[in-house]
Amino acid sequence: MSEWSSYRLEDFIPFTADVYYRLLERMGEDFWPLHLLTLLLGGVIIVLVLRGRARLACLLLAPAWVFVGVGYFMLRYGELNWAGQDIGWGFVLEGIMLAAVGASGLGIDHAPRFKTLPVMLGALLGVLGLFGLPVIAPLLGYGWFQAETFAIHPAPTAIMTLGVVLVALRGIGLWVAAVIPLAWIAISGMTLLVLEAPWAPLTFTVLAAGLLGLVWKTVAGLRRLRGGGAPA
Amino acid sequence: MTTNTHAKTGRRQFLKLVSTGLAAMAMSPVLRAAPDGLLRKAIPATGEQLPVIGLGTWQTFNVGSDPELLDARTEVLRAFFDHGGGLVDSSPMYGSAPDVMGYALKKLGVPESLFSAEKVWSPAGGSAREQFQQLAARWGLPEFNLLQVHNLVDWRQQLETLRELKAEGRIQYIGITTSHGRRHREFERVMASEDIDFAQLTYNITHREVEARLLPLARERGIAVIANRPYDGGRLIKGLKRSENVPAWAREECGCQTWADFLLKFIVSHPAVNCAIPATTRVEHLNENMRAGNKPLPSPDCRRKMIRHIESL
Repeated sequence: MSEWSSYRLEDFIPFTADVYYRLLERMGEDFWPLHLLTLLLGGVIIVLVLRGRARLACLLLAPAWVFVGVGYFMLRYGELNWAGQDIGWGFVLEGIMLAAVGASGLGIDHAPRFKTLPVMLGALLGVLGLFGLPVIAPLLGYGWFQAETFAIHPAPTAIMTLGVVLVALRGIGLWVAAVIPLAWIAISGMTLLVLEAPWAPLTFTVLAAGLLGLVWKTVAGLRRLRGGGAPA
Repeated sequence: MTTNTHAKTGRRQFLKLVSTGLAAMAMSPVLRAAPDGLLRKAIPATGEQLPVIGLGTWQTFNVGSDPELLDARTEVLRAFFDHGGGLVDSSPMYGSAPDVMGYALKKLGVPESLFSAEKVWSPAGGSAREQFQQLAARWGLPEFNLLQVHNLVDWRQQLETLRELKAEGRIQYIGITTSHGRRHREFERVMASEDIDFAQLTYNITHREVEARLLPLARERGIAVIANRPYDGGRLIKGLKRSENVPAWAREECGCQTWADFLLKFIVSHPAVNCAIPATTRVEHLNENMRAGNKPLPSPDCRRKMIRHIESL
């Protein structure tokens, strides 16, 4: 038996389900009622990006990533997982990149086609991250403070950001801005799978939808560049 | 004269028998039942008695600084010591588990029965000596009973430092670990060639590869064995509890009332194994685990029947 084939997914998750849910709950308890403000901020970001104010939307997303990177990963998750500090720095980096995109305008899609699949998927993911994720825990009988909220918890932050960048960005800039959200959604999905969370499949569906949107938008962009038609 | 000679021969034979017996006791884990009912086996290197059920901390004791969970794990540890438990095993790889041990021991006091087992692990950073010092501070202990090289990582240089620490009296025993059946050939080489007191490896009723070479070698070399992943990461016992009842014959012939009994008694009844280290977050599961360390243990025939039963499921 080769060494790597002996590892299972659970060997990379160094905590139990109750510890993970309690971590989500502690973030909820510690920062309440900041949630109300972050929900409002998220709503403003979605409206801005759908109205073509993509640069401002990216600028407003940036502090959410830095806050989650420090508040969630470095100060809390890092106690449980030695990779937590590095992931926290990854979130801070995403915040810096979004701020740079917002400030410079590099990679901004100035003419997003609202009736195309990637943009519709982006809008859907944005709404799901902002309003869908917070209701999952309470609907499944977990406490309200376990509700995962944009700019407080990482998963809704990553899902909403993925949606926003699908609408707001294009070309290489789109991929660069989407890599860290995609990576966290994948890690989050695997964590939930190991912890037997009932909503783990949703995370993988989001991941697949995000990747589909990214590939679709990239192919459409390349076709436009070559003078061909975009996929329907 | 004849009587005298016979008497001398008898005494000699008696002394020989006693010394052979003592040597045998030192070389292989002999079972002893303590007044609390928990069986103990001798560590071959010294003859020190170690309870057959210990406590693992992978995942379960990694709770960060959450006061609610810190107190919950302290209660698990309290129950463990109430049962007469001894060996608690942790690692710098287990996140906050060593800090949680420190928190719990500060709250409970350090019981006499504690047998502290830690590991050094290169990826955690710092030298083995620095890791030892940091871990001791995190547990709030001046020394550890056992320090192991985690997963054989950099074992040559790590063992050298561990030997120095042992010579200085900072640790009593040194050892090596592996899990999931990894690097068994190298593990065997280290067991055969190095002077170590403990070997920690994965052994449970569905993962018995170590029966072929590593466990016999441990007996031959007088190395104590700690069995990790006794429930195969929890999957084994969860599956059995969900779908099966403990067979009646196991209750009657092997003294197994629960699946915890069935799985743990199987492990610790192997003559080479000193101790199994199930991990849990719940006091009721801890109680179940500890009861498995009481008499009786399954006979060799019974062990074979247990294997056949699990393979038939």
